[in-house]
Amino acid sequence: MGLRSFIHKMTAPRPSERIPKGDMKMVFVVNHGLKMGKGKIAAQVGHGAVKAVMNAGEKRPASLEAWLATGQKKICVKGLDADHLIRLEQEAKQLNVLAVSVHDAGHTQIPSGSYTILALGPCEEHQLEPLTGSLKLL
Amino acid sequence: MASMPEAPTMVLIVREDLRLSSGKVAVQCAHAAVSCTLAARKSQARLVERWRQAGARKICLKVKNLSELQMLAGQAQTAGFVMHLVKDAGHTEVEPGTITVLGIGPGPRRSIDALVGDLKPY
Repeated sequence: MGLRSFIHKMTAPRPSERIPKGDMKMVFVVNHGLKMGKGKIAAQVGHGAVKAVMNAGEKRPASLEAWLATGQKKICVKGLDADHLIRLEQEAKQLNVLAVSVHDAGHTQIPSGSYTILALGPCEEHQLEPLTGSLKLL
Repeated sequence: MASMPEAPTMVLIVREDLRLSSGKVAVQCAHAAVSCTLAARKSQARLVERWRQAGARKICLKVKNLSELQMLAGQAQTAGFVMHLVKDAGHTEVEPGTITVLGIGPGPRRSIDALVGDLKPY
């Protein structure tokens, strides 16, 4: 990178991110069709959380800060199967909600590459309502 | 990537005696994973990067009760690992402030294994 573009990068205004106001939340949609054990689910949700945090750190730092400062609220809900998770992921992108997917490496329990978890947010609770409001808690 | 025995690992240790629902356990483990990762990124950025590139290995283990969990937490701290004890806010299922999960790592797999090697998978 040349000096001018470097200086530009340093001084350019950050891409504007609306400062979040409401309750912040992260939601994990678990692929319930896979019949994973509970330890497996916990580790996969852990992957989803770390990925979502890293992703938000790059794209929505203000949302991430607000979420971390208010106790990292998270919930787990049941998704039907991989197709359901894919559909929700697409809907989330249309609604401008951060979404990251976890695909298992398949060392244990399930076939390699299975779509295990969709992590949504962190964002305001009302943004998640149309996506996961009707799903059952895990 | 499974063939990298030296890749760093993270362990999430759950208290069995609380009999939490699997969704609750998952959320508590996620909390430990996030807190450990953020803490480790400050002190050991390169290790965290290596851990993530090798698939961010995470294992879920269990202990019988709080005292076993606290003993492990003490040992992890003495050994110099990044660790985090998750205290539940108590909105559901358990009393506020209940310690539910211990996260250790990411750290070198061999030394973490030495610490938690006898624990059973959750």
